[in-house]
Amino acid sequence: MPRDLVSGLFWLALALFAAAQGLALKLGSLNRPGPGFFPFWGGVVLGLLSIVLVVSSHRRGATGSSPLRPESAKPLVVVGALLGYLLLLETLGFVAVTFSFLLFLFRLERRGWAFSIVSAAAGAFVSYVLFQLWLKTQLPTGPLGF
Amino acid sequence: MEIFGGVLYGFQVALQPINLLYCFIGVFIGTLVGVLPGLGPAAAIAPLLPSTFAASPVAAIIMLAGIYYGAMYGGSTTSILVNIPGEAASVVTCLDGHAMARQGRAGAALGIAAFGSFIAGTLSVIALTFLAPFLARVTLRFGPPEYFALMTLGLTLLTFFARESTVKALMMAAVGLLCGTVGQDTISGRFRFAFGIRTLEDGLGLVPVIMGLFGISEVLLNLEQREQQREIFAPPTTALLPTREDWRASTVPILRGSVLGFFLGILPGAGAIIASFASYAVEKRASRHPERFGAGAIEGVAGPEAANNAAAGGAFIPLLTLGIPANAVMAILLGALMIHGLQPGPLLVKQAPDVFWGIITSMYIGNAMLLVLNLPLIPMWARLLRVPYTVMYPFILLFCLIGAYSVANSVGDGIVMWVFGIVGYLLKKFDYEGAPLILAMVIGPMMEEALRQSLILSAGSFEIFVSRPIAAGFLAAAVVLLVLPLVRRRSLPA
Repeated sequence: MPRDLVSGLFWLALALFAAAQGLALKLGSLNRPGPGFFPFWGGVVLGLLSIVLVVSSHRRGATGSSPLRPESAKPLVVVGALLGYLLLLETLGFVAVTFSFLLFLFRLERRGWAFSIVSAAAGAFVSYVLFQLWLKTQLPTGPLGF
Repeated sequence: MEIFGGVLYGFQVALQPINLLYCFIGVFIGTLVGVLPGLGPAAAIAPLLPSTFAASPVAAIIMLAGIYYGAMYGGSTTSILVNIPGEAASVVTCLDGHAMARQGRAGAALGIAAFGSFIAGTLSVIALTFLAPFLARVTLRFGPPEYFALMTLGLTLLTFFARESTVKALMMAAVGLLCGTVGQDTISGRFRFAFGIRTLEDGLGLVPVIMGLFGISEVLLNLEQREQQREIFAPPTTALLPTREDWRASTVPILRGSVLGFFLGILPGAGAIIASFASYAVEKRASRHPERFGAGAIEGVAGPEAANNAAAGGAFIPLLTLGIPANAVMAILLGALMIHGLQPGPLLVKQAPDVFWGIITSMYIGNAMLLVLNLPLIPMWARLLRVPYTVMYPFILLFCLIGAYSVANSVGDGIVMWVFGIVGYLLKKFDYEGAPLILAMVIGPMMEEALRQSLILSAGSFEIFVSRPIAAGFLAAAVVLLVLPLVRRRSLPA
């Protein structure tokens, strides 16, 4: 299936959703446009453009600049690690989560245990000093108080 | 005389030790960001925004601006020594810059890039100094219809400069406009696209969205490529100064690149990347020996490097005179000004002259610092480039995570960044560009307000956009820009 067809249909669905939301929010009148005015017309414009893209997609074929299927599962694993970081951040605290996150990624890249542990610990410590102590960012603390 | 008073005042502000320090930190981080491939100025400035909350608005903006134009200097170093662009705006510098390095002329290439950057950066700040106050006085008379028309023109320009298809760029702009409507409607107070989620009720944060689209997604894309062994040319210890012959070949390209870059920098969506490509094309056409391009022509380094720095200066024009950002970095600076309670636009020069003139004059100082800093630090950057990407990217990700969280101490913003990281990754895969989305998202709420206010003014008649000459002119230009690609499509090679 041509790439533009897939993405075009996706945006079309989003456009319909936006337009429907716009209608539900009330368009208002022209001399007093309501909150739904912009989302509705934004959705309409996006929808029309998507249709143009979908219709012209067969002509352009399935050529793209980069292969669609990732060569490795790494991006997926990293996406998971990022989500894990965010979900655990406020329960375990900044230092613990940061250490685990860095350790995980270094091991993912097949770095040795010694290198990974030392780098992760250094990374967690330096970023804590830099952001919490120096830049006064309010980073979440864990059960141990850091 | 008013301008000279302003400049003098600006120097008084910018030369205060604390502001000098922030300027130095800014250009230093900027060079670092420029040197590191896979970390662009937008993705780097976004997480640093919260760290400036405690600083004065002048110091904060001086630093963030320094990162932006500093990155333009740093990008060339990586292009020349490693043949990988440190920055999207120094992609063309790879062609001749790296060829020069292969011929043992890395010193001349690095030198001319630094001097060209300095000359162009300074020229464009001079142009900014004279043009900005003048334009601010003109735009002061703009009402909602003029603003709406101008922003429409801006979004059209954005898609006109798109590298992929125009339709896709317009679609991204539409998606951006819709993203901009998320949150509470300023006029009616109703929530839109919030679905009862706290983070969404406050609107999509610019910082997490930018970091997702330009930071996280970039890392994800890089992870797919198997790391190649980087061949780094040892930086020369001596002979960084271009010879007289080099100067003779480079002077005109630098001046041409400065003018071209400055004006392209003003236009939304054009900016430093387009400016560098345009300058390369112009120099190649103007040269009597175009065959030398790609084989180590110094003009091919001097012109584009001048152009991308001049563009960085030009980009401040719409921000300071209209309050409209020309690119993602300017969008963050706009956010930074507003966080500090300042309204960017024509009134800025009156309401906060210290900020207005302080930023402009700090750029003279910053450019001088960069020239002095850049060349001696090159050996250090070369060593840094030997750190493999697999060690670097966990820290880039961490940096983004901390940045997204610390904007409002909220995990929700982190999730927004995460989502937009995936979105940005998919957009690249499906050949879309993220830039129109960001700009439309920032301009969207302003545009909506201008449109609704205009319609209230005119009691519902769209005639207001045609009967006011300035607004009509902007809209006419937008229509021409939209139709032009359709007419020219067949005659263009790519």
